[in-house]
Amino acid sequence: MRTKKLVSILVLVLILAFAYFSYTTALTNFTLSDKTNSYLGGIKFHRAAAGLEEGFQIAQQENKPVMVYFWAIWCQYCARFQTDTLGNPQIKKILEEDYVLVAMDLDIDREVAQEYGVSYPPYLVFMDPKGKILERVPGAVGPDYLLPIVTQVREKVRGNTT
Amino acid sequence: MIPFGDTLLYAALALSVIALIGLLLKDFKNIEYFNQLVTPAILLGAGLLTFSYILLTYYFVTGNFAYDYVWQYSSRDLPLVYKISGTWAGQPGTYLLWVLVIYLSAAWLAWTTKHSTALARRTQIITLLTGIYLVILTLIQTPFKLILDRPDVIEMIAKGELAAGFVPLDGNGLNALLVNFWMIVHPPLMFIGYATMTIPFAAAIVYLLTKADGWEELGRQWARFTWLFLGMGIAVGGVWAYLVLGWGGFWAWDPVETASFIPWLTLTGFLHAAALHRKDKSTFSIAAPILAAVSFILVLYAAMVVRSGLFNSVHAFGDTPTGSLLIILISIVSIVTIVLGMRRYLEEPDKVEEDRGFWNKINIFYVTLLLFVVLAFISFWGITFPAFIQLTQGLKVNVASDTKNFFNLWSYPFTIILLLALGFCLNYNEKNKEEQKKTLFIVIGLSIITMFLRTDNFYVLDHSSPFWVREPAIYKMIGNISVISLFPSMIYATWSTAQRLIDYLRIKSIRPRIKGIGIAIVHFGMIFILFGAVISSNFTQSIEVGSIPLASKGEKVDIGNGYDIKIIDFSTRSLAESVPAASGNYNVQSVQLEIYKDNSMIGSGTAEYLDSKTGSGTFPLVDSSITGTDVYVIFQGLSSGSVPLTLKIIPGVNFAWFGIVLFAIGIILIMAVRSKS
Repeated sequence: MRTKKLVSILVLVLILAFAYFSYTTALTNFTLSDKTNSYLGGIKFHRAAAGLEEGFQIAQQENKPVMVYFWAIWCQYCARFQTDTLGNPQIKKILEEDYVLVAMDLDIDREVAQEYGVSYPPYLVFMDPKGKILERVPGAVGPDYLLPIVTQVREKVRGNTT
Repeated sequence: MIPFGDTLLYAALALSVIALIGLLLKDFKNIEYFNQLVTPAILLGAGLLTFSYILLTYYFVTGNFAYDYVWQYSSRDLPLVYKISGTWAGQPGTYLLWVLVIYLSAAWLAWTTKHSTALARRTQIITLLTGIYLVILTLIQTPFKLILDRPDVIEMIAKGELAAGFVPLDGNGLNALLVNFWMIVHPPLMFIGYATMTIPFAAAIVYLLTKADGWEELGRQWARFTWLFLGMGIAVGGVWAYLVLGWGGFWAWDPVETASFIPWLTLTGFLHAAALHRKDKSTFSIAAPILAAVSFILVLYAAMVVRSGLFNSVHAFGDTPTGSLLIILISIVSIVTIVLGMRRYLEEPDKVEEDRGFWNKINIFYVTLLLFVVLAFISFWGITFPAFIQLTQGLKVNVASDTKNFFNLWSYPFTIILLLALGFCLNYNEKNKEEQKKTLFIVIGLSIITMFLRTDNFYVLDHSSPFWVREPAIYKMIGNISVISLFPSMIYATWSTAQRLIDYLRIKSIRPRIKGIGIAIVHFGMIFILFGAVISSNFTQSIEVGSIPLASKGEKVDIGNGYDIKIIDFSTRSLAESVPAASGNYNVQSVQLEIYKDNSMIGSGTAEYLDSKTGSGTFPLVDSSITGTDVYVIFQGLSSGSVPLTLKIIPGVNFAWFGIVLFAIGIILIMAVRSKS
């Protein structure tokens, strides 16, 4: 019975090591949202209803359009949408420099989603600094589809003031 | 006023309490007085629950929207079969189904044993305790809740927006994704599987308490039955995801599907432990009952995952009041199991026997059990710790850059070891041991060498995926293992199973032969599923077709990579035949397609898009060929005169389907032979 005991202890140690390692790895590498921000596809977003409010303030000060991204962790298409479409170098640059970005987690921010008539992820809503909806992009669209929209919305908001 | 359906549940509850008291009095005080009432009370209780389920079905079929649950999951224009399956479309109904099957198994126990032995009596006590707890949960989240008791309805009546005796004219309707054949079978398979785990668990607890003989025999067929139903339920869920949800695969490590897979793994471990335990009572005398109890705990855990609102999944139901009650039950059962297991472990006399070294059948089986536990733990941990972090720190974390990577990469090495153990065990022969060890070492060597082979992109993690670059170093290291390394152990396992099958076929007496064939078939099934899973997930080719204008109907449209698509026809209809198109709750858009590769047709069929007020569903075109490669087209609904399509070429899925069928055939053969212990 010594062998069984030894093997059991070895496996137990392995399991504990694995549990600890994967836990800390996730915390350091794969945090998607903390209290104030979401980090999706390598892009930093404000998050939740409070983030949206704050986002509008910044947008008004800097005259930037607001893009709200509705996502969910279980969404099969979101992860790829984030890396391929939002993470597309051209789009990412425009979003990070010229937009105020807000993320809504469909598991948590259900009320906001309802308010904007969003029932499934991924879903993008583009607004001007006052909250007027300029464009809606439902579904996991490709970068070719999104790039012109991102540019047009930006020009529209810029054009309104000058 | 209490709805009629609820009074049935209360009556069943009262009857179970009477039966429980009778059993306890008999057991502790040896008072026969109540004992005669026990069996009739249990049978009557099971009868009342059956009646309540029929009643619920009747409400669905007749469209009695005075009941909130009927209103939520049904509507007038649904075909009859979906009105019936609506009874298990939501949580309240599945609770009722769950307790119904627990009571049916309690009734079976009462009827077959008449509680004549202490083991049967005590197993019944634990079964009833579980049943009572779950009946209470069903009453809290009852399917017989009246729509007039909904807070929002009460408020609207108070404001005068609704009449006092309000009954909706039509139901809310079934979620569009649930309107298909797989939905009809998936939930009942799952919940019947959950419920039938109760007796093996109860018997295991009694054994841990009292060392009663015969516990394994009592729960044996139930455990196999659970294995079959749970396994088929999970498989059907996979088929559903593949054919309906348009995932382009059958497994996505969604928390809920993973949660139901975990008890299946430990149950598989239990079946292996039980196989040796029944031959020698001292073998796995603790591991076997613990695995049975753990499988039951994990069944409760799977139910909790769906109902707590803590786990973010495509099966989102939101948080419900019974989630925390399930957590309490899980805690109680876990503590009982741990305490009893520890006690038995400390009591167990240290067996002094000659050391037969590491290489004997029991030890290799023990390694197999541990492998099932390790694989179960990987899945358990992967869905649990993100929920834990969210609960305690308010952070939302992912387990890896891409969720599925975590499960795939950690499970991979243990899957190889499992195949090695399978190869060694099934071919185990005390006399040829040294030779067999040599073969095993050669296969181990080949597995390790092939891990380092460099290929185009046939690795544990997909190197072309955008997530690959963002995985941490250790994940990349494991992800860098070539999947070719799976094949030496897979061939070894196949060869061993085939050898064993030949041996079994030579057996003269019929019962061990049939059982042996069953065992071999189950193991072949596992190999087929693994093969199908690996091939289909590694070699799927995905082509974004974009939008094809409807105007180009009848013409081949070049979509690149040598593929062409031709739209043959487009039509719309309503799901219920009696309702004209575009006016019902469920409208289906169908596009008939032909797919060509280098100008020869490789597939054809219809891709559909279902639109309803409760959501939309994509029913992809799936054209399988004998070569095992599926042509798979997802249609996402007509938008401004264009047909948006995604084409996938998926090889090897048929192997997985075939493996699942083998699983079912094999275990049914094993169950058909009642082995004597």
